Amino acid sequence: MANPTENLDPNPPTREPEDEVEELNGDEGEVEEEEEDDDEGEDDDAVSNPQSLKTESLFRRMRSSPVPVRVHDVIVKGNTKTKDHIIEAEVDGVREASTLQELLEASRVANSNLRALDVFDSVNVTLDSGPPELPGTTNVIIEVVESKSPLTGQIGAYTRAEAKSSSVEASLKYKNIFGYGDIWDGSVIYGCDNSAEVGMGMYLPRFKGLPTPFSSRLYLSTQDWLNFSSYKERSLGLSLGLLSSKYHELVYTVGWRNLIDPSRSASKSIRRQLGHSLLSALKYTFKYDQRDSYLRPTSGYAFSSTSQIGGLAPDSRSLRFLKQEIDLRCAFPFGFYNAALNLGVSGGVTFPWGSGYQNRPSSVPERFFLGGNSSPVCSLGGPSALWGFKTRGLGPNEPKRKGDDERDFIGGDAAVTAFADLSFDLPVRWLRERGVHGHVFACGGNMAKLTENEFRNVTAPKLLETFRTSVGAGIVLPTSLFRMEINYCHILKKQEHDKAKSGFFLTFSA
Amino acid sequence: MEGDQDTSGFTLVTRKPCFGLPTACPNCLPAYIYLKLAQLPFQLAFNSTFPDSEELPYFESGTYVAYNNEDGGVIEKLEKDGIVNLDSQLQSLPDYLSLKALIVSWLEEALTYEIWVGTEGVCASKIYYSDLPWVIGKVLFYKQTYLTKNRLGLTKENAEQREKLIYKRASEAYEALSTRLGEQKFLFEDRPSSLDAFFLSHMLFTIQVLPETSVLRRKLLEHGNLVRYAERLKSEFLEESSSSPSPPLHSFPSSFSGKGSKPKSKPKTEKSEEEKKFKKRARFFLAAQFLAVVIYVSVMGGGSSDEVEYEDDD
Repeated sequence: MANPTENLDPNPPTREPEDEVEELNGDEGEVEEEEEDDDEGEDDDAVSNPQSLKTESLFRRMRSSPVPVRVHDVIVKGNTKTKDHIIEAEVDGVREASTLQELLEASRVANSNLRALDVFDSVNVTLDSGPPELPGTTNVIIEVVESKSPLTGQIGAYTRAEAKSSSVEASLKYKNIFGYGDIWDGSVIYGCDNSAEVGMGMYLPRFKGLPTPFSSRLYLSTQDWLNFSSYKERSLGLSLGLLSSKYHELVYTVGWRNLIDPSRSASKSIRRQLGHSLLSALKYTFKYDQRDSYLRPTSGYAFSSTSQIGGLAPDSRSLRFLKQEIDLRCAFPFGFYNAALNLGVSGGVTFPWGSGYQNRPSSVPERFFLGGNSSPVCSLGGPSALWGFKTRGLGPNEPKRKGDDERDFIGGDAAVTAFADLSFDLPVRWLRERGVHGHVFACGGNMAKLTENEFRNVTAPKLLETFRTSVGAGIVLPTSLFRMEINYCHILKKQEHDKAKSGFFLTFSA
Repeated sequence: MEGDQDTSGFTLVTRKPCFGLPTACPNCLPAYIYLKLAQLPFQLAFNSTFPDSEELPYFESGTYVAYNNEDGGVIEKLEKDGIVNLDSQLQSLPDYLSLKALIVSWLEEALTYEIWVGTEGVCASKIYYSDLPWVIGKVLFYKQTYLTKNRLGLTKENAEQREKLIYKRASEAYEALSTRLGEQKFLFEDRPSSLDAFFLSHMLFTIQVLPETSVLRRKLLEHGNLVRYAERLKSEFLEESSSSPSPPLHSFPSSFSGKGSKPKSKPKTEKSEEEKKFKKRARFFLAAQFLAVVIYVSVMGGGSSDEVEYEDDD
C-alpha cells in the first residue's frame, strides 16, 4: 500500500514566494500588503520593477535573519469529495511556523504529504496575505485537484518481508471512495517462493485521530512447499497495520492456517504438523536504514529488529510462539571504481510458549529456512538468503516417505547468516552508465533445532563445525523492477544432504 | 499434534482418546482393534488438529507409512504390504464378502447418520473439534455436517424416509450378525479377522459414545449375544494395555446417561473449571488490550510532533 512517508517529492512545485508572499517591512514592524496574484498568473510585467525590488529586499532579509510571520488561516480549495480535516491533518506543520523560512519549508513538506496520499492529480500550496486588520499574518491556500479516475491498476515487483522473497503483484486500486483519503485495493500476488495470494485491502491515512496511517488487508494465500518440505500452506486471514512510520511498524494478524500434504510423501516431523491452526500474532518491526541505496549500498548502515508474539487470544489452543529476528548491515566506501564493502549479519530464533513448551515442537511455518534466489545484500528481513544454496536447501532434514529418495527440509528454530560483499564498477563505460557492476562475495550460515529439549545439544563449537560457507563473484544488473545478479558460486563447506553445488546462479531482489 | 512415545517400531496415529476409548474416532478405532487382535505391539500417537483428514488413521514404521486413503483403507494396505494379515484364506469364503459389505456399508452409514444427524453432533464436537480453536472447530463442524447430509442423500423432503431406511437396515444387519455369531468367540473360524475389528469398533462406539437416547444404540442392545461378544473381546484384547479395567459394557447405560450421575457431573465440573479458566483469561486479555491502547495513545500523543518531522529527512 502507498505510504506517504516513502513517496516524498523533494522538489514539489510550490509557488515561488516572489509571486504571492507578503512583503514584510522589518524596520517598521509593519506589513505592506502585496497585490494578490491569481493562480492562473497575472501579468506581472507592469509592476515587475518595484515588485522585484521588494522581492530582492525580502530575500536579503530572509538570508540575514528569520522573518517573523504568523499563519492566520489555512484555506482548502478544490476538494469536492475529500474531507477538509483529512487535508488539514497533513499540513499541521504549516500552522506552527513562526518565521517565513519555517513556513516555506513546512509548505514544501505539506505539498509532499498531500501528494503522497495518492488521491489528487495535483496539489498547489500558495501563501497569500492575511486580513488587512491583522498585520504580520499570512493565509495558506491549498488547492487540490481530485483524481478524475479513481480506479487505477498497477503491476510491480516487490520484496515482502513476510514472504522473504521477491514477488510480482498486480493490483486494482479504488481511491477516495468516502472522501477520507481511503484507498481500496484488490490484488493478486505471485511470489518466487511458489506462493500465491489474493487479497483485498483498505488504507486510511488518518483513522480516529491516530497520527499514523491505518491499513487492513483480508487475504487468502497458498504457499506450495511440496518439493522442499512436503507440505502446502493455506491461510485465510486479516492483517491490520496499526502503526506505520519511518522507523516503526506494528501489525496484528489473525488467520486460519491449514497445512496439508496432498503428495502423501511427507517425513515424520511434517506429518505430525499437518492440520489446522489459529494464528493470532502481533509483529513489531524497527527498521533504521541509513544506507545511500537499497539496491547498491556504498555507504551507511542499517539495523532491523522484528519481534513477533503469537497466541494473543483467549483461546489457549491458538498457535503460541515467540520469534525474534535481527539484521545488521554496514557499507564502507573505497575511493576508487565506486567500490564498496558490504558486511551483514542476520540472526533469528523462534520458540513456542505455554504449558509444556519445552517438549513441544515449533510450528514449521514459523521456523527459519535458508537458501534461495535472493541476494543477502538487499534483504533485510531476518536470516534467509545464502548464495549458492537452493531454496530451503540446508539445515535439519528428514527422509521422506519410503519410496521417495528426496528429503524434507524441516527448518530450524535458530538461524544465523553472515556475508561480505565487495562491489565495484566495471571498466566498460557503457556498463557503468547503466549501473551494471561487479562483485565478489563470501557468505555463511547455519541453523539448529532448539525445541523438544534439543537446545541442550546445541553448542557453539558444534555450530561452527557445521557452518556452511560459499564464495563467488558475479555481475549485478539493476533494472527498473528488480536487481538481478549472475553469479558463480563455489561451495566451500556444506553438510550431507544440503542442496548446494558450485556453479552459476541467478538471484533476484526487488 | 501430541507427541508419540517412540521413534522406532510401529506407530499408529489416530485421533484423540475420549469416552473411555483409546481413540474415539469411528474411522480410527477399527485399525487400533485390528492391530490389537493381531497382537502386534505398537505405539499410539494422536493428531487432534486435522479432523477432516482422509489420511487418518495411518500406520508408520521408520519411513514406511500406510495411509487410510490408499488401497481401500489402512487395514487393507497393511494386509497387502504383508505387515499383518488376519484375513488370509478368509476372503474366499462367500459369507465374508457379504458380511463385510453389511458392516462397512449399512452399519457404517447408520453410525455416520447417528453421529452427525441423529444425535445432532453432540459427541462429534468432543471427538473431532475439542482441541481446535473455537472458531475453526465450529466452521469445520458445520461444514462436515453439511457434507455428511449430502453424502447420505438427505434432503428436507426425504429426511424421514431416509432415517427409517437407515435404521431398518441397521436392525437387519444386527439381526444377521447376531444370527451368524451365535455364541462364538469370533465371526469366522474361531480366529480374529478384520471383520471382527470393524464390528467390534462399531459396537464399542455405539455403546460407549452414543447417548442413551440413541435409536441405534437401543437397537444394538436388544441383541444380548452381540453385547457379550463385544464384552469378551474388549476384556481379552483391549484391556491388556489399559491401566485399569473399564466397567462392563452393559452397565454403561447407567454410567453414561445424561441423568446427572457421577461421570456426567465430572465432565460438568471439568467444563465449569474450563469455563472459569477461559473467562479469567478473557478478562486478562481485555485488560491487557485496554492497557496497551492507553499506553499507546498517551505515548503516541506526546510523540506526535516528532513523527510528523520525518518527511524532512531523505
